[in-house]
Amino acid sequence: MESTEELQFSDDEEEVTAETVLKTLQCAWQNERLSPEILPHQNDMVECMLGQIQHMERNINKLSKTDLRTSIHKMEISRIKFIICNYLKTRLNKIEKYCIPILNQERQRIETDTNYLTPSEYKYAQEYVLNMENHMKNVVLNKMPGNMQVFEMNKMAEHPNLQTHVFLKANETINGVVLEDLTGEDEEIDLEEGSQHILQYKPIADLLKNGKVTLL
Amino acid sequence: MEPYEIEFIGENRIISITPNFTHDKIYLICGEFGPFRAGLPVNVPLWLAIMLKQKQKCHVIPPDWMDVEVLENIKEEEKRSRFFTKMPNEHYMVEAKLILGSAAEDVPNAPEIKTIIKDIWDIRMSKLRTSMDALMKTGGGYGRLDHLTMMEINSVKPLLPAAMDNLLRMQMKTKKTAPSLNLNSSTFSQSGSSQNT
Repeated sequence: MESTEELQFSDDEEEVTAETVLKTLQCAWQNERLSPEILPHQNDMVECMLGQIQHMERNINKLSKTDLRTSIHKMEISRIKFIICNYLKTRLNKIEKYCIPILNQERQRIETDTNYLTPSEYKYAQEYVLNMENHMKNVVLNKMPGNMQVFEMNKMAEHPNLQTHVFLKANETINGVVLEDLTGEDEEIDLEEGSQHILQYKPIADLLKNGKVTLL
Repeated sequence: MEPYEIEFIGENRIISITPNFTHDKIYLICGEFGPFRAGLPVNVPLWLAIMLKQKQKCHVIPPDWMDVEVLENIKEEEKRSRFFTKMPNEHYMVEAKLILGSAAEDVPNAPEIKTIIKDIWDIRMSKLRTSMDALMKTGGGYGRLDHLTMMEINSVKPLLPAAMDNLLRMQMKTKKTAPSLNLNSSTFSQSGSSQNT
């Protein structure tokens, strides 16, 4: 049972169990998959899980091939890897799609230290925009008349649709969520704990980032 | 999300099995399970149960609700109620599909159970379609959907949010061009009451 001792040891250090980290990560993955805009990163969770996986893989190598545990642990690792890969890919897809607004907002967020992207995601986004700009220049703009050669970044921007409708479940009772009505009369609704709703993303965006609701 | 992703999430539910082998506790990242004693029931995640079943190392103990009588009651209740009733389990369809798919011989009356679950699903889906229709007709931008399971929500996902998005877009256009022409003056109160809870 060497595997467990090591695992428990690393748990104590971080003062949270691997189980909770995994649950948080799975929740983050689910929300990221379903929200129209990019959410604050959960890099700590990802790093922690990757560490756990490494531990586990090292321990599996010590077990004999015929040991029942080998296949069970391998299966679990594959499941966790799937969540991590899918989570990171989903974020990259959003970064590529909405790179320009994300970068603009991220610059302000970095100043207040509330960044949504991890440093490497930020670098990726910057390089992506730069590559796009260079590509546009090389392929089209440089061959245009002089007065048309400016790359107008903000005209290229694609924005996430924050007015799209999403399904959600309230993790706790939230009173007075304001839904904007087109007639100008705002409607307030209460979300009871455990209740499920479909409504516009915008009014609940902050609740989602605070973990008060989960997308379904 | 894709249906297989919902299934993936549902696979984390805990169910009971009777192993036919003996083993100490197994310490997984998602928790510790066991000890396994041949013939004694033990709780494991669904994915592990299915995996052990495929290796013929256990029998699955069907969940309490996977019983003809219980399900008949649920079905009657679902038929009687105007609203969605609470399902015994928020991933009932995933659980039923996986258990009946790979461990049908462990479930008494498996074929009947399959039929009843399918009936319940059909009743709920037709209710869902009716509510969606009502929601759209009242021009609603908000609906409450208590007791719907993830798989059920997912099945209307390409359609309902997109329809509501388009409706909103049309309303915004109408408002911009002709502010006096108001298609829906009581959007929320109407949709709130017509939508099943």
